[in-house]
Amino acid sequence: MVSEGRKAALATRPEILLVEDDSQIRRFIKAMLTAEDYRLHEAITGEEGIAQASSRNPDLILLDLGLPDRDGIDVIREIRQWSHIPILVLSARGQEQDKIKALDAGADDYVSKPFAPGEVSARIRASLRRAAVLDKNEAGETVEFGNISVNLAARRVLVGGSEVHLTPNEYKLLQVLLHHAGRVVTQRQLLKQVWGPEHVNEPQYLRVFMGQLRRKLEADPAHPTYLITEPGIGYRLLLETEHN
Amino acid sequence: MAALWQYGAALVVVGVCTLIALPLRPHLAAANLVMLYLIGVVAVAAKLQRQVALFTSVLSVAAFDFFCVPHYFSFAVADSEYLITLAAMLAVALLISGMTSRIRVQEAAAAEREARVQAEGMRTSLLSAVSHDLRTPLSSITGAAGTLRSHWEKLDVTTRNELLGSITDESDRLNRLLNNLLEVTRLESGVQLRKDWFPLEEIVGAALHHMKRHIAGRKIIADIPSDLPMVAIDDVLMEQVFVNLIENAVKYTPETTPVEILARRNNGAVEVEVLDSGPGFAAGHEHRVFDKFFRGRSNEVRGAGLGLAICRAIIEAHGGSIYAENRKDGGAIIRFQIPFGDSVLKHNGGTGGNGE
Repeated sequence: MVSEGRKAALATRPEILLVEDDSQIRRFIKAMLTAEDYRLHEAITGEEGIAQASSRNPDLILLDLGLPDRDGIDVIREIRQWSHIPILVLSARGQEQDKIKALDAGADDYVSKPFAPGEVSARIRASLRRAAVLDKNEAGETVEFGNISVNLAARRVLVGGSEVHLTPNEYKLLQVLLHHAGRVVTQRQLLKQVWGPEHVNEPQYLRVFMGQLRRKLEADPAHPTYLITEPGIGYRLLLETEHN
Repeated sequence: MAALWQYGAALVVVGVCTLIALPLRPHLAAANLVMLYLIGVVAVAAKLQRQVALFTSVLSVAAFDFFCVPHYFSFAVADSEYLITLAAMLAVALLISGMTSRIRVQEAAAAEREARVQAEGMRTSLLSAVSHDLRTPLSSITGAAGTLRSHWEKLDVTTRNELLGSITDESDRLNRLLNNLLEVTRLESGVQLRKDWFPLEEIVGAALHHMKRHIAGRKIIADIPSDLPMVAIDDVLMEQVFVNLIENAVKYTPETTPVEILARRNNGAVEVEVLDSGPGFAAGHEHRVFDKFFRGRSNEVRGAGLGLAICRAIIEAHGGSIYAENRKDGGAIIRFQIPFGDSVLKHNGGTGGNGE
C-alpha cells in the first residue's frame, strides 16, 4: 500500500529522460536519480530518445553526445523544433567545441564526464528551477545569493546591505546571468543578449565587464564564488554552492 | 630518377669550375686544374643524388679536356700524356662521387637508428611509469569494490565508508593521470593554440573554482593587480597551467601553509609566480622538474611527474619561459613569463564601442 503522502510525492516527482548508450553509466545514473526521488526513463539511441521525448514529455532530458546512431547535436536540434524541455548534455572533458555547439543548438547546460560527485544533481536542479527563476524575473521580485540581493523591479543591487551602483551594461549582464541562474551561458549568447548581435565577435568587452562586475560583487574577484568562468565556453552564475 | 633540376645544378657547378679554371690556365699545371674540377664533383656528391654525381664526374672530365687540355676548345688531345691525366681524373672523380654518396646513405641510416633507439627508450620509460601509475589506483579500486561486494554484511559502517572513499579518491587520481597523459600527447603532437585576450585574474579564478574540492581548507592568496593588461592566451590551456601549479604546491606542502599566486607586469610580458612554504626542491633538481616523468620532490607523494612538463609545454607554446627555484626562507617558487601579445589592448575600464 502506498501512503497518501507518498502518492502526493509521486505526482510531483519530476520525470527525467536519460539518453545514453553505455549501460554502466545508465546503471549508476538510474541508481542516483531514483535515490533522489526522480522518475527515470531510459533510451539507448538518439532515435529512441527523440521518440520518448515526444511520447513521455519529460521535465528534463539528460543526453549523451556520443550516441551510436545519431550526432547528439542533431538530436538537440530536432527536439528543439517542437519542445523547450530543458536538455542537459553529458560530454567528455576537453571537448569544449562540442559543448559550445550543443549549447548553441539549444542545450541548457552540460556536465563533463567523469562527473564530480553531486555535479549531475546540481545541474539538474538548476535546469528544473529555470522556470521558477524566470517567474521571479518577470514578477520583479528580489533574488538573493550570499550577501548579495538583486531587486529586479527597482534594478537595485545590494552587497552586504549597502547599495552598489552598476552601469547599464553591467546590470544587463547580471540580469542575463540571473535569467540562466546556475546554468552556463556561452560567450556568444551573452554578447548577443547584452551588446546585440553585431558584437558577438568582440569577447574582450564581455571579459572587461565581467571583471568589473566581479570587483563590485565578489569578495575576492580572483577567487569568485558566484560569477564563474568556464574556460573555452562561457560563464555561469552560481546561486547555491554545489554539493561536493 | 634524379630530378631534372639536379642535373641542371651539376651543369652550373661544372660551368663555374670552368670559369675559374680558364683565367688560371696559363699559370697552373693541368694536374692542378684537375683539382678544381674534383672539388666540384665532391660538392655535387655531398648534396645531390648518386647518379647526378656520376654525371658530374663525366661532364668534368669532358670540360677539362675541352677547355684545359691543348688543343684548346677541342676534344682532340695534343699530347698522348694527357690521356693518362684524363683517365686518372675520371677514375678519381667516379671514386669520390661513389664514396661520398655511400657515406651519406650510411649517415642517414645511422641517424634513423639513433632516433629509433631514443624513441624506444622514451616508450619504455613512459610505459613503465604509466603502467605503474595506472595499476596502483586500479588495484585499490578493484580491491575495495571486491571487498565491499563479498563482505558487505560483515563490514562495519566506518570500514564501508573508508572503502567507498578510496574508490572515489582513486578514480579521481586515475582520471587526473589520464587527463595529463592525453594532454602531454596532444601538446607533443603540436597543439594549435586558440588565443584571445583575457584578464589573468579570470583564468586564475576559473582554476581556483574548478579545484575547490581539492584546495578546501587551504589558504590560497591570489594577488593580481586590477590594472594588469589583458594577455593573449589560450584560456583552456592556461587554466591547466594554473591548476597544475596550484595542485603541485598544495600536494607538496603542509596543510597549514599558504600558497601565493602573484602576477606583475615585466616590460612586454606578464610575470607570474606561484610560491609555497614547503620543503622546496632538492638542490640541483630545479631544472629537471620540468622534464617528463621526473618526480622532483619526494617519492612519498604520488604522481606521474607530468604536471610541470605540461606547464612547460604550454608556456613555451605561448612564446614564454618557466623556471623553478627555492625561496631564501624556505619553500618553492615556480615563475613563468609570457608576452602580453602583439599589442596591449587598452580595454581596461573601457565602455565598449568598436573593437580593434
